Amino acid sequence: MNLIDLSGNFISTVKILDFLSIDASSIIFTLINTLILFLVIKYLLFERVNKVLEERSNDISTTYSKADEAMNNAKKLEADYNLLLSNAKEESAEIIKNATKKAQIHSDEIIAQAKTEANNIVLRANEEIERERKRTKSEIKDEISEIAIIVAEKVIGKELSKTDHELLIDKFIENVGELK
Amino acid sequence: MNVQGPHYFTVDILGLEVKISETIVVGWIIIAFITALILFLTHNMQKIPSKRQSIAELIVTTVNKLVLDTMGKRNMAFAPYMATLFMFSLFGSLVGLVGLRPMTADYNTTLTWALLTFFMVQACNIKANGIGGYLKGFTEPVVFMTPLNIVSLFVSPISLSFRHFGNIAGGMVITMLVYFALTGLSTALGLSVPLATIGIPAVLSVYFDLFSAVMQAFIFVMLSMVYIGSANESEEE
Repeated sequence: MNLIDLSGNFISTVKILDFLSIDASSIIFTLINTLILFLVIKYLLFERVNKVLEERSNDISTTYSKADEAMNNAKKLEADYNLLLSNAKEESAEIIKNATKKAQIHSDEIIAQAKTEANNIVLRANEEIERERKRTKSEIKDEISEIAIIVAEKVIGKELSKTDHELLIDKFIENVGELK
Repeated sequence: MNVQGPHYFTVDILGLEVKISETIVVGWIIIAFITALILFLTHNMQKIPSKRQSIAELIVTTVNKLVLDTMGKRNMAFAPYMATLFMFSLFGSLVGLVGLRPMTADYNTTLTWALLTFFMVQACNIKANGIGGYLKGFTEPVVFMTPLNIVSLFVSPISLSFRHFGNIAGGMVITMLVYFALTGLSTALGLSVPLATIGIPAVLSVYFDLFSAVMQAFIFVMLSMVYIGSANESEEE
């Protein structure tokens, strides 16, 4: 088929059969070319890149599993520590409780002791006072009787016998008592 | 200027005359280019990727994902083949941009690829059903469907190859025709320089050479994946 322009000049030839000719050698060579390119793409591109990709994904999964493991370990340690901590807390609470109890008992003892001691002291003091009072009383009595004898001797002007003494003293005391 | 099929030249290899077409030489150039590109991208690969390596990884993971989604896990071995078809087809069409004759504008190229897909589909069918089951498949669902089944068997590679070839070759022809027409217009307007050819062919080129190249490569590979994937469907999926 020829292409003719407006002024009738021949400009081109389109060979239809050329376009559609099936040529065995072309087919065979195309087949070989395709095979060569296939081998190039398969071995130089796909296998190498796939290998790298696989290595990377393996790397990532091992990294992830390691991280998970570390996380689990950390959690376990945390739980352990928490347990230890709560144990320690309980223990310390126990210790404090015991100590408080002991101290309470001790203080009670001390107080009781102090009380008995104080009681004893008071008792002793009372006894002492009583004794002192008695002693003072008898001393006073003695003195009074001596004074009475002296007075009586002066009054009577003679020495008194023991029986007289006693009579006189009793009289004196009676009189003094009456006078009072 | 002629719009025509690929040039042929004969080479003497060990006394044997071998006819080699322009398409094949362009194919060698593309193979060399892609190989160099791959070597550049995958040079010195590390666990922590460089920019170049990321591009290589992106290409591989994209193809892997596409194959996985379309064909299932069982057919992952087809990923490099699909990548080969896509890259060969894409670059085979894109060479038009640098002035070479597009590989895919040669029917032999797309026919070869379509036949590869076709034979893979048949092989997968035979492997899955056995020869008996494969042949019996033509008489299903009813016996009188057999001729239609046989016709449809051969239609798929033809439609597959013609779609790709037709788009690229048609684009090439249309671009050429428009270029001639614009040259003629410039002459008719009395311009000594064909000014009308500035701009419009570039727009067409963006459509036919870039968009069409990517689309057709993608469609061809997608259809190949669907055909092979459905022929090699696994029981558990």
